[in-house]
Amino acid sequence: MSSGDSNPAATPIPCEDVQGDGRWMSMHNRFVSDSKGKEPDVLFVGDSLVQLLHEFEVWRKLFSPLHTLNFGIGGDATQHVLWRLSNGELDHISPKVVVVWVGTNNHGHTPEQICGGIMAIIDVINQHLSQAHILVLGVLPRGKSPNPLRERNKRVNTLVQDKLASVCYASFLDVDPGFVHSDGSISHQDLYDYLHLTPQGYQKVCEPLYMRIKALLEMHAP
Amino acid sequence: MSEEENPAAEPAPVQDVQGDGRWMSQHNRFVQECKDAEPEVLFVGDSMIQLMQQREVWRELFSPLHALNFGIGGDTTCSVLWRLQNGELENIRPRVVVLWVGTNNHEHTAEQVAGGILAIVRLLHTHLPKAKIIVLGLLPRGEFPNPLRDKNLAVNNFLRASLPRVGPVQFLDVSGGFVHSDGTISCRDMFDFLHLTASAYSKIATPLHELLLQLLEETPQERRASLV
Ligand SMILES: [Ca+2]
Repeated sequence: MSSGDSNPAATPIPCEDVQGDGRWMSMHNRFVSDSKGKEPDVLFVGDSLVQLLHEFEVWRKLFSPLHTLNFGIGGDATQHVLWRLSNGELDHISPKVVVVWVGTNNHGHTPEQICGGIMAIIDVINQHLSQAHILVLGVLPRGKSPNPLRERNKRVNTLVQDKLASVCYASFLDVDPGFVHSDGSISHQDLYDYLHLTPQGYQKVCEPLYMRIKALLEMHAP
Repeated sequence: MSEEENPAAEPAPVQDVQGDGRWMSQHNRFVQECKDAEPEVLFVGDSMIQLMQQREVWRELFSPLHALNFGIGGDTTCSVLWRLQNGELENIRPRVVVLWVGTNNHEHTAEQVAGGILAIVRLLHTHLPKAKIIVLGLLPRGEFPNPLRDKNLAVNNFLRASLPRVGPVQFLDVSGGFVHSDGTISCRDMFDFLHLTASAYSKIATPLHELLLQLLEETPQERRASLV
């Protein structure tokens, strides 16, 4: 991977507090202080798709029992996650599995740049947690009807999957159970606003994800 | 303030800056739902309304009242006005409308936001003259004290003063208890210091549900009286 200097998606930057209530930094600070008292086996990091997962029953049923921390922030792009991970969120923990789910908010970036951003995140995680396995989730299709962002996200997945094939400490998981119907539409029963998951949508995504994490944790066991 | 010079009272659709058309898809779905459903209660507003539908509390308390949920994340008074003027009130006769919007009006002053909410209330009265309206007060936001908390508080004060003059409108302030004595808001109530957790939704849903039941009870009595 080339240096991130020329790729905005791979250049760590905190989210600017344009609204003026400092929520983003409050969440980051909370994650850093949360991580001090905990000894998580699994860490989820990413955008609203990670964050909202924490708000639903499926989190308590499947992931809480695995000793999981959730460092998701709505609206985050790869460069924001990169900044958070480089600024304290990985300093006090040693999870065995890190789940990364980010990229759909990288508006204005090319698939190649977004892939570069995700690979930079993997590098940072590996530098801090050399024992951890990194599981990158594919970005989901979005929008009710076919649109350029679906194509972009699909391309990101192809690129990331290709890159990860040669990385022994990371792997890719496509968690799309088939959200796009044969007529090209996505149902609000799965993605209520055609981007974020309903409890039913999470259920579909989380069953294979849970199996994969369990398998990774078992491989990790001595 | 006259509505003509208030940008928060100007109807405007949300621009599809991301390019996946999600806002218009949601609006079109709501217009379609109006044709297929006969709601007794209509919820309209931003993500605070929208996320409620993803919670247990919606199925437990509000869905059984025959409620429709027309919430869209990120919406302002302007985009709600536009939606309501463009089909979301056609073909339905809800007896009560719950309105919750304003915390996303980042470009507008507190007085303008309140004016935008009043404009929505007036529009609802025009389209649904028999419906009762509940306006939910804006919630505090941010982990620590910040200008947006002061602004939302000011919006609520404007609403408290001006809503009674508009007609059968109830202002319901559900913001109590979120700000602790040290000035902080807990992530156990607002997971991102803006949006509500399941337990916080349960907390605010209790007074809202009670008021809804009360208003729904009053309405058929009025109908019977007018028949006599
Ligand atoms: Ca691999």
